[in-house]
Amino acid sequence: MKFFKSRIFFTIILFLAISLPAAFAEGNRDFMRETGKINVVVAVILVIFLGIVWYLVRLERKLTKLEHQTKDDQ
Amino acid sequence: MWWKILSVVLLIYVLLAGMLVPLKSGIQRAEPAYARTKQEIAVRFYGYNTMFSKAAASGIRTWLYYDETYALAASRCTALNDTILEAVFRMPANLPEGRQSAYLNAIIDHPAAGASLLPAAVELTQDSGIVAATLDSAWTARPVHQLHVQTGFSFPYQNVIYESIRNTYFHVPMWFVLLFLFGASVWYSLRYLRQPAPENDRRASAYAGTGLLFGVLGLLTGMIWANYTWGKPWSNDIKQLMTAVALLIYLAYFILRRSFDEYEKGARLAAVYNIFAFASLIPLLYIVPRMFASLHPGATGNPAFGSQDLDNTMRAVFYPAILGWTLLGLWLANLRIRYQRLFDKAMGLD
Amino acid sequence: MNWKSLIPLLHKEFLLEFRQRYALSGIVLYVFSMVFVVYIASIRVAPPVWNVLFWLILLFASINAVVKSFVQESGARQLYYYQLADPATLIFAKILYNSLLLLVLSVLAYGVYSLVAGNPVKDPGLFGLVLLLGSLGFSIAFTFIASIASKANNSATLMAILSFPVILPILLTLVRLSSVALRLIQDTAYTRDIWNLLAIDAILITLVFVLFPYIWKD
Repeated sequence: MKFFKSRIFFTIILFLAISLPAAFAEGNRDFMRETGKINVVVAVILVIFLGIVWYLVRLERKLTKLEHQTKDDQ
Repeated sequence: MWWKILSVVLLIYVLLAGMLVPLKSGIQRAEPAYARTKQEIAVRFYGYNTMFSKAAASGIRTWLYYDETYALAASRCTALNDTILEAVFRMPANLPEGRQSAYLNAIIDHPAAGASLLPAAVELTQDSGIVAATLDSAWTARPVHQLHVQTGFSFPYQNVIYESIRNTYFHVPMWFVLLFLFGASVWYSLRYLRQPAPENDRRASAYAGTGLLFGVLGLLTGMIWANYTWGKPWSNDIKQLMTAVALLIYLAYFILRRSFDEYEKGARLAAVYNIFAFASLIPLLYIVPRMFASLHPGATGNPAFGSQDLDNTMRAVFYPAILGWTLLGLWLANLRIRYQRLFDKAMGLD
Repeated sequence: MNWKSLIPLLHKEFLLEFRQRYALSGIVLYVFSMVFVVYIASIRVAPPVWNVLFWLILLFASINAVVKSFVQESGARQLYYYQLADPATLIFAKILYNSLLLLVLSVLAYGVYSLVAGNPVKDPGLFGLVLLLGSLGFSIAFTFIASIASKANNSATLMAILSFPVILPILLTLVRLSSVALRLIQDTAYTRDIWNLLAIDAILITLVFVLFPYIWKD
C-alpha cells in the first residue's frame, strides 16, 4: 500500500497512459493504425479507466488520512 | 442508489454494444483511380469488412456513378478474396454535359452486406479526338436500382476513421459530463452567494473537482484520437480550446480557495470567481469559430462525421452513453461531497 | 449606483495616482523596458509578430497597472469608503479611472513601440478604436479580478492566474481586430467583432455590478 501512496506512482501511470501508444507507434509504426484503428479505441478506454482509478486512489488517500486523524482524537 | 445501478448497467451496455457491433462494409480505395474514355479497364476495389467471396458471382453489382441519371455498370465482377473485388468497365465514348473530366463515385452492391459507396473513386478523362455530339448510351443502359440495405445492427463506415468511430461513446461523452458538472458547480456557487451554507460550497467545489477530471480525460482521449485521424493532436479547435480554458479556470478556482486563512472568505470569493469566469467563457463559443477553421465534427465544410452522420444505430448507443457517463460523474462527485462533509465535521467547520 | 459620489471617488483616484507617482512611472518604465527587449531581441519585427507582441506587452502592463488599484489602499481606508459610498459606485469609479489609465498607457506603448519596432498600422482609425475598446475590456476584467485578488495574501501571482482565462475571449478578439487594422487579414465583416467585444464588455460589467457587493462586504 505504501507504494500506492507515493505521488510517483500516479505520475508513472499518467506518463504511461500518454506515452505507451506513442511508443508502440514508434516501434511498430502501424500498431495504432492497423486493424481499422481499433487500438485507438483501446487506448482511449484505457486512459479513461486509469483516470477514474487515479481519482479513486486520491480520494482513498484523503480518507485514510481523515481516519487516522479522527482515531487520534478519540 | 437506483441511479448508480442505472449508470453501471448503461455503461456495461455501452461498452459491449460499442465494442461488439460490427462496422458496415466500406470501400477503402480503387485502383487504378484514373481512366480514359473508350478504354476497357479492370478496377480493383479494396474493401473494409466486406465479404466479396461470400456471394454468388452474379450477386455483386458495381457502378461508377456520375449523378442520378448517369451511371456506368460493370460488365463483370470477380471477387479475388473477401476484401478485393475486380470489376471490368467499358468506358463510354464521351462524358455527360460535355465535360472534359469528372470524378465518378463507386457503388458496390452486395446482397448480404448492402451497398457501400466510395466518393470520387475514379477520375474519367475525355480522350483527345473528335467528341461525339450525342451522349454514349452506356451511361443510361443499366441505371443504379434495387440496392440492398443492410438490416443488421451496425455502425457506419467512414474512411480514415474506421473502427475509431466507436470513440463516439467514450471520448465525446466526456465533454457532456464536463459541461454538466461545471454547470452544477456554478449553480451551487450561485446558491452559496444567496445562502452561505457550507453544504453549497462543498457541492460547488466537488462538482468542479470532478469536472476537472473529466476535462483532463476528454482532452487526453481527444488528443489520442485526433493524432491518428487528423494527423496531429492539437488543432486550436473550439471544443479543445474551451475545455483547456475551462480547466485553467477551475485550476485557478482551487488555487484561489486555498489562498485564504478564513474558510468563509475563501468560499465566498471562489464562488464569485466561479460565476464570473464561467460567464466570460461563453463568448468564446462565438469568437473562436471566427478565428480558426475547425476540423472537429460539426464544423462547416467538414468531411468528417458530424451529428448528421449519427445514424439510428449510433444514437441507440450514444444517448445511453451520455446518460451513463454523466451518472458516473455524479457518483464520483458524490463520493467527494461525502468525504468533504466528514472532513468538515471532524475539523469542526460545520 | 450614486452619481453624486462618483465624481469625488474619481477625483480621489486621480489624487492617489498623483501622490504615488512612482507607481505610475514604474508601469511606464515597465512598458519601455519590454519594448526595448523586443528591440534588442529582434530588430526587424514582421507585422504578425508585431501585432502579437504589442498585445502581450499591453496585457502584462495592464495587469500590473490595475493590480495596485486595490492593493495600494489599506483595510482601514476601505472601511471608510464602505461607509461613504455604495459598492456599485465605487467599482464603477475604479473601472472608469482604470480605463482612462490603460488608454493613456496603450497610446504611450503604441508610440514607443512604433518608434523602435516600426509602425505597420495601415488603418489608424480602426487601430485607435481597438485600443479604446481594449482598454475598456481590460479595465473591466482586471479591476474586478484585482478586487478578488487583493483579499488574498499573494495577490500579484493570483492576479495573473485568475485573469488569464477571463481575458482570453477579449484578447483573441482584440488581436483579430488589430490584425484587420494592420491589413494582415482581409475581413470586411470586422464590425461583427466590434459588436462581439461590446457584448462581452456588457456581460462582464453586468456581472461586476451583481457580484461586487459580495466581494466588498467583510
